Amino acid sequence: MQTKDEILEQIKASLAALFELDPAQITLAARLNEDLEIDSIDAVDLLDGLRRQTGRKITAEDFRSVRTVGDLVEAIYKLVEP
Amino acid sequence: MQGRQTYIWRIFATGACFTLFGIGGLILGVIVFPATLLLPGGPERRRARMRGLVQRALRLFVRVINGMRVISYEFHGTERLGRTGQLIIANHPTLVDVVLIVAFTPAPCCVVKAAMFRNPFTRGVVRAAGYISNSSTDEMIHGATAALRCGDSLVMFPEGTRTRPGQPLQFARGTASIAVKAADVLTPVYIRCEPLLLPKFAPWYRVPPRRPHYTLEVGEDIDLTAYHGLPPPKASRLLNAWLLQHFSERLGTSRGYNATSGN
Repeated sequence: MQTKDEILEQIKASLAALFELDPAQITLAARLNEDLEIDSIDAVDLLDGLRRQTGRKITAEDFRSVRTVGDLVEAIYKLVEP
Repeated sequence: MQGRQTYIWRIFATGACFTLFGIGGLILGVIVFPATLLLPGGPERRRARMRGLVQRALRLFVRVINGMRVISYEFHGTERLGRTGQLIIANHPTLVDVVLIVAFTPAPCCVVKAAMFRNPFTRGVVRAAGYISNSSTDEMIHGATAALRCGDSLVMFPEGTRTRPGQPLQFARGTASIAVKAADVLTPVYIRCEPLLLPKFAPWYRVPPRRPHYTLEVGEDIDLTAYHGLPPPKASRLLNAWLLQHFSERLGTSRGYNATSGN
């Protein structure tokens, strides 16, 4: 079982690699759209990445209310919960 | 007053063509499609049959609007449309663009706006033909990539909606993202219409002073190899920027050859 900190580290690594972001920008409070310029098309790529990594069925609905990196950590934490 | 008479004729004919389009959609969706359910074959076969029917119906419709002098057109390079896994992208100046492209592409799939799935005149057809709605980004991208991977040819308008007259071209990145992920071939179609018929924000009866002439030209395939090694977000951003510039340049000047035309 992953802790939220581990999930955050993973998110930082994949966001930094996928979107060529500075990891320092990727804080819990950072807004995906406004601060990191991740749009709905990127969200599809992110979800596909998550589906591959977790092997779980993930729908866009699970992430509907996600606005910040912190929200994303919470959403993933809920998904990987046993 | 010859000019005034033909102008009034074109208003009438444009209205008649709208009506014909709606009735045709209803007949195909409500009568023809249910009738084809009686023919043998599974869902895929039925969908392919419906796409073929839609293409032939639109070819006839194009002949009618051309014959009624609502438009004239020339379409260059149609023999290069309809290849396996081909993503066909075009700019979108007017309401008739998709009609012309689908009429000349062998049984393609299309991404169409979500409203067509609710409009009673088009609902039956777009469902039966298995067209893809642009309502949710996630479903649009997965639907479009699945269609291309099955070998369908797919028609998309990267602008997402008709061009705003007088504004610079704007492309939504979804098309580029789909191209990078799943297209075997990416082929541009440049559309010009002079004077503009039915652009965005114009009511149907405001027909232009002269009969609009369409020039459609199928461009050279766009090489995607440079984008395939990159992470998807970067690849689609770069391709989208390239496409936008390419279309902006090509729509400025170009002349075609080898036309399928109706005057």
